[in-house]
Amino acid sequence: MATALASAGILLAGWQSGAHIAETGTSTTTSLSSSASTGGSAASGSTGSSGSAASGSTTAATYDGASVQTRFGTVQVQVTIQDGKITEVTPLQLTDAERKSAQISSRAAPVLRSEVIQAQSANVQTIGGATVTSDAYLTSLQAALDAAHF
Amino acid sequence: MQPISRGQQLRARTFRSMGTVVSLTMASNRYAQTAVDELESAVDVVESIFAHLDLTFSLYRTGSEASRLARGEIMLAYTSETMQELYAEASEWRLATDGAFTSERPDGILDLSGIVKAHAMREAAFSLRALGLTDWCLNAGGDVLVSGTPGPTAHEPWLAGIVDPLDRQALLGAFPLASKSALATSGSAERGEHIWAISGAAPEFAQVSVAASDIVTADVLAAAIVAGGTRTLDQAVEKWGADVLAVRRDGTLLATPEFRNAA
Repeated sequence: MATALASAGILLAGWQSGAHIAETGTSTTTSLSSSASTGGSAASGSTGSSGSAASGSTTAATYDGASVQTRFGTVQVQVTIQDGKITEVTPLQLTDAERKSAQISSRAAPVLRSEVIQAQSANVQTIGGATVTSDAYLTSLQAALDAAHF
Repeated sequence: MQPISRGQQLRARTFRSMGTVVSLTMASNRYAQTAVDELESAVDVVESIFAHLDLTFSLYRTGSEASRLARGEIMLAYTSETMQELYAEASEWRLATDGAFTSERPDGILDLSGIVKAHAMREAAFSLRALGLTDWCLNAGGDVLVSGTPGPTAHEPWLAGIVDPLDRQALLGAFPLASKSALATSGSAERGEHIWAISGAAPEFAQVSVAASDIVTADVLAAAIVAGGTRTLDQAVEKWGADVLAVRRDGTLLATPEFRNAA
């Protein structure tokens, strides 16, 4: 059960960041994104405050998130919202690799590229990478930084 | 001589050693010429440490102690103290990582080059501190060891970008070297001969970056994870508290929290 919850969290995070990437897409995607986050905060404990969701509508609604092509495959989730709360998150599409890696480690979790700390080469002082040969160094980002710092 | 403006300037000097290029970067708000002199004398010290170790450990130099040992001309017991110490250290790592890290090539030749570069960086750090230098960044072929910050008054830690193994002109991510000052990266693509998967199968990861509080640990664990896969990755995180960013061969990523954006 804990595993299922954890992977749902990862899915949701992945889907939300995917939706963010696809911001220029359909308006459905955008509105879905906001209703998902509202539901998310309600689901995290403050059940009493969900009254704003409203006048008697107890029917569950199911939304499909937009299919987002990420560098690591297609990510899409289906979200069921009832009384302003997310009651279910179902993965519709997920690459096999992501399914597998979701189970691998509790400490080193699978992440989308957008979830990793990002920086441009102009903002870093040094470049880490697998050992480059002296020849490969000449065309490397580190060489450019070293030249800029001469 | 004009004083450098308050926006501190980073300066770097490089040299070739151990088949790669080593860069030393320092920040200074002193007079330009003083800063250059300080950096250049510091890089001379670092270069001599690397050169000295390379003379002993290079398997590309036929007359080196490592080459003579490989040919069976001398026995380990009669080699230099440094050779014996590094051999002992590599052996301990081999045991600790259940064989994922090894300094023995498939042909049986002892090859300590996987640990010698990190050892050189460790020795360089001792010397730089002995010179009274507190703010510097040492990069040896993509392995990074830092001290302090990018400037005497900087509040941000040194920030290292990590190369995307699929596009070496792009960054995959970044890591702020604050509580962990060492970052090492191993790949199964470039210089692949350095790492052999224990199972004999293709390595699970294309690239593994490990941040740790010392460079030898970071370097050994990065190599060990490429060879040992997920099992060794979990071990590195649990046993040594390392932070890891691993790129699988299909391009998917695994990361510990320190490599992720703050929520």
